[in-house]
Amino acid sequence: MRRRRATAIAALLALSAALAVVAAAYATPERAAAPTAQTGSDAALVKCGKTRTIGFMAPVTGPAASIGIQQVHWAQYYVATYNKTHKTKFKLQTEDTQLGAPTGTAEALKGAQALAGSSSVLGVVGPAGSNEIVGVTKSLMDGGLAWVSGSSTRTSLTTDGTRRGFMFRTVPPDAIQGPTAANFILKKLKYTRVYIIDDQETYSTGLADTVQQVLKAAGATVNRDGVSQQQSDFSSLIAKIPRDTQIVYIPWQLPPKGQAFGNQMKSAGKGSIKLMGADGLYDSSFASVGSHVYDTNFPLNPKSKIIAGFKKSHGGDGEYFGAPTYAATQVVSNAIDRACAKGSTTRAAVRAAIRSTKIPAAQSLIGVSIRFNRGGDLSTLHKFGLYKSNGTAFVPISG
Amino acid sequence: MEQLPPDTPRIGVDEWVASVEGKRERYTGLRGAVAQRWERLPPAARVLVFAAPAAVFPFLTSQGNVFRYGLFTLVYALLALGLNIVVGFAGLLDLGYVAFFGTGAYLYAILASPQFGNHWQAEAAIPVVVIATAVVGLLVGLPSRRLLGDYLAILTLFFGQAFVVFVNNANRINFPFFGHVDLTGGSNGIANLDPFNFFGYKVDSTTKQYYLLLIAVALVLILLMFVNESRTGRAWRALREDPLAAEVMSIPVNRLKLLAFVFGAAVAGLTGAIYGTIATAALPGDYDVGLLITIYAIMILGGFGSIMGIVVGAVIVSSVPELLRSSANARPLFYGAILIAILVKLRPWRLLAAELGGLVAFGFAVHGIASAAYPRLVDGESIGSGVFARILDHWMLFPKDPVKIADVAYILMVAAIVVYPQLKPLWRAVLLPPLLYLVMFVWENLLLVHIGGATRLILLGALLVALMNVRPQGLFGTATVEIV
Amino acid sequence: MNWSLFFDLTVSGLTLGSLYALIALGYSMVYGILKLLNFAHGDVYMIGAFIGWYLLHALGGPVNPTFTGAAVLLLMFIVAMLGCGVLGVAIERFAYRPLRNAPRIAPLISALGVSIFLQNSALLVFGAAFRDYDTFDLIGVKTYHIGNLFFSVPQLLTVVAAIGLMIALTVFVARSRLGKAMRSTSFDREAASMMGIDVDRVISVTFFIGSALAGAAGVMFGLVFGLIYHFMGFIAGLKGFTAAVLGGIGSIPGAMVGGLIVGLAESYATGYLPQGSTFQNLYVFALLILVILIRPSGLFGKAAIQKV
Repeated sequence: MRRRRATAIAALLALSAALAVVAAAYATPERAAAPTAQTGSDAALVKCGKTRTIGFMAPVTGPAASIGIQQVHWAQYYVATYNKTHKTKFKLQTEDTQLGAPTGTAEALKGAQALAGSSSVLGVVGPAGSNEIVGVTKSLMDGGLAWVSGSSTRTSLTTDGTRRGFMFRTVPPDAIQGPTAANFILKKLKYTRVYIIDDQETYSTGLADTVQQVLKAAGATVNRDGVSQQQSDFSSLIAKIPRDTQIVYIPWQLPPKGQAFGNQMKSAGKGSIKLMGADGLYDSSFASVGSHVYDTNFPLNPKSKIIAGFKKSHGGDGEYFGAPTYAATQVVSNAIDRACAKGSTTRAAVRAAIRSTKIPAAQSLIGVSIRFNRGGDLSTLHKFGLYKSNGTAFVPISG
Repeated sequence: MEQLPPDTPRIGVDEWVASVEGKRERYTGLRGAVAQRWERLPPAARVLVFAAPAAVFPFLTSQGNVFRYGLFTLVYALLALGLNIVVGFAGLLDLGYVAFFGTGAYLYAILASPQFGNHWQAEAAIPVVVIATAVVGLLVGLPSRRLLGDYLAILTLFFGQAFVVFVNNANRINFPFFGHVDLTGGSNGIANLDPFNFFGYKVDSTTKQYYLLLIAVALVLILLMFVNESRTGRAWRALREDPLAAEVMSIPVNRLKLLAFVFGAAVAGLTGAIYGTIATAALPGDYDVGLLITIYAIMILGGFGSIMGIVVGAVIVSSVPELLRSSANARPLFYGAILIAILVKLRPWRLLAAELGGLVAFGFAVHGIASAAYPRLVDGESIGSGVFARILDHWMLFPKDPVKIADVAYILMVAAIVVYPQLKPLWRAVLLPPLLYLVMFVWENLLLVHIGGATRLILLGALLVALMNVRPQGLFGTATVEIV
Repeated sequence: MNWSLFFDLTVSGLTLGSLYALIALGYSMVYGILKLLNFAHGDVYMIGAFIGWYLLHALGGPVNPTFTGAAVLLLMFIVAMLGCGVLGVAIERFAYRPLRNAPRIAPLISALGVSIFLQNSALLVFGAAFRDYDTFDLIGVKTYHIGNLFFSVPQLLTVVAAIGLMIALTVFVARSRLGKAMRSTSFDREAASMMGIDVDRVISVTFFIGSALAGAAGVMFGLVFGLIYHFMGFIAGLKGFTAAVLGGIGSIPGAMVGGLIVGLAESYATGYLPQGSTFQNLYVFALLILVILIRPSGLFGKAAIQKV
């Protein structure tokens, strides 16, 4: 027994020592010859052939697939229309991030590593979720890749300074949407009794916190509670909402849940209380609850030919959640074209080109020209659009 | 008296006798030789057998692949090894294990991130995290003394859910003296975790993280092998087989249960800290039930209590879904699996040839009829490229708009598979080609499309059911015996 | 004392509780006979909800139904119950029967496998999007009230239907021959088979009834709350299981009472406790832990003496 223990201990020490030596020997100097060394790819020269590759990270499958697929459609629409009218072509290397999947951000991590290691990828569109971006930041930055997100709204991502020059987004952050909604409630509707319900996801709690802050500072009575993403029986919660509440603010992500909540409010006899959603609920299903429903959304240009063309090829459905992803793809492809002017380019050059993006309003479906500020946010967009339901759809109103 | 399948444990025979008999009876020829050699190796050598190819792995492939296949496999293996202590060694059904994993990650995040401004070095942070998680394991294990198996499962499940909800909302806690403390960042989690810093040596590249994980796995493996052979290990096995008898034999059952929880939690805490540095963030969504199911699948596949089985199980469960991501990889696996199953199950080779021939003929016949009468059924295309896909275009039905038809076909397929074993042998032989054709139809038109998401889990679920029917003890587990 | 709030919460608690009771019955009955925790039960409930939805839309949808509202509802219930019953029997045949003599953990894992399979098959076939029952036009959104007590038609329907089903079950188990066979099999399987009872058939019937009840609960959920999706069985199954354990697992009246208690507890916790809705599930589980620490066999369960 003692002899076996001694041999085992000796073997254990030997093994650990061996592994440590191996690790130290091979891991310390970052050799360029080592399998796709990460620090080299920043300045690695990539030939711009006839077909250029854009990395694309989106939740193609998984719990968020219903909104992810809209982003996929819009990105593919951009690439299809571009390829029809240009001699050089683009193609998307899609990585499924499965946002909200049981394994968390693991899929996004793997996808980011795959894109960073793939030498032909020059820029990335996505990822969709703010938590995903937190997770993949290191992988993408180490690979020298810039990314343009079409749906991540957490304010701190661009303001904390750690992603400067790498992260960009074509949607306004929570810091704009929250105060828009709060000021609308306070100044336009002049309500003082508000109930805020978040859905425990980071997008929702961020907005809810911002709105709560602004309302409380103005002296309004604010009650706060949350539902879980898996919940669809709101009856007890609705019972708790005082009948003299004037408006309930629900910054959720899934329109059917907003619709169910609105319907359950009606059947509980509280249908006279106004409802307000955020851009996640901007959908006709939520609007169908009734004309007492308000919403905020990034101001898409309603007369845009791009939107009309998309609707025609997708059975009349605008799939608005994915529209900013179109803009994101446009930004990345535009930057790659400019960087590739001399036939070959580096990821660093593409990053600089994205930073200096200047897409005029006429070509952008956001309704304003696309330019970025230092943090990576749109410098041309300062407010969110406000909408009211007419019973079947949302129509814009003035704030 | 109905015939019991040969693998059924026999009443009245205890584990040692069963396993010895089994070894004598079943292990002959090459398999026997390998098994005997394996038994004779000392623990350290066994670990080396796995560690050597693993150590060479990063040189054979790209960083992306090391990340995708290597890192996650090792993380899952570590978690499964820790869970094995609680479930496999001591027989306690722990459904909240992933919460310990999360605890380790969040504790490390508190100690080494911008959240509170702490930047502890790894040699100080890791022991603190491991010990603290072990203490949490102790606390969770305390009620286990009074609870039997199923109730313990509920308690641990509660702890797991409580952890997720707590971590998601802990940014709004008002402590009595400290005031408002943002403990866990709420649903945003804690970001920008420092990489491990051992006396100045930073583990900040994928390769270094991989080797660190490999060392951790090796250490835990050797530790577990030690424990397995020790008195504590034997006591745990006795506890697992029959708690009442163990107690009667004056084994300190309560203390052992707590010890199992503590050990398991410690391993999970270590893994959590390591995973935190890999993901560079501690996010609430990463530590929920889905991961728990994956770890359990590893343990079930490998066999409860078998350490090597768990390593093999981790490799399979982690790598196979990744390999299956592209249709080019998935197709050969699927058709290969069907082919192998048929080859094994259909004995007289004439019957086998007839079935295969019938299948091919059936396919062409159906395709021919469809092309003539219902062209919409063959207007679509198979996914992917290559010779095989083109052949399939002429053999299999590909409707232009496959979604609705494939959905109905899927339900029909499941019903057919359930009904099939109940049929008489003659009907079974005749209906096998159409059944196989239906299965392949559903595969090509529905399952392959979702190969990245739902299909993987469907296959996992089906695998678990099939595995329990064929080999309940997993690949490397020992067949246990219930004394009724 | 805010009576209006109290009544609202009680009504919604009773509604939820009826659903949990129906699910708990399935758990209890199966555990009583087979000593098996049927993890897949919650997913049978989910399939029931979807069957109801598809039938509703096959019959023209909520806006333009082919038959009258009441007839459509009745059909939905019947078809969902039958469908789920058959599904339950199939699951038993396929996943549990071959494992009757295997170590206890094997059917548990098989159940887990079936649960994963059902959830993801639903995801595959039905898609990830939530489906809406949208039956508000069909049944009417009218809210009735007696004094300060408000309730809506779907809620009333749920409670009444659940009580009706539970009464029917109790009568069946107490009076009919098959019911007696079920009771004796749950008491001692070996002895029952020696007395000439076809144990296989009894088990199949048990699964059928339990799953049918779960299917009915699924349709009711859709009618009252509107939204169904592929993952809804997980938490509902968990709470149904909590209710079964609370009431004493293996006991039918225990499952009914346990379900109502869990429903009411969840409702009151949401309504009265701070951040009640966020921590809803935790309060329910905490209640369960409390009960099993104080009285491990549940409210109605018999403290079983383990024979060695």
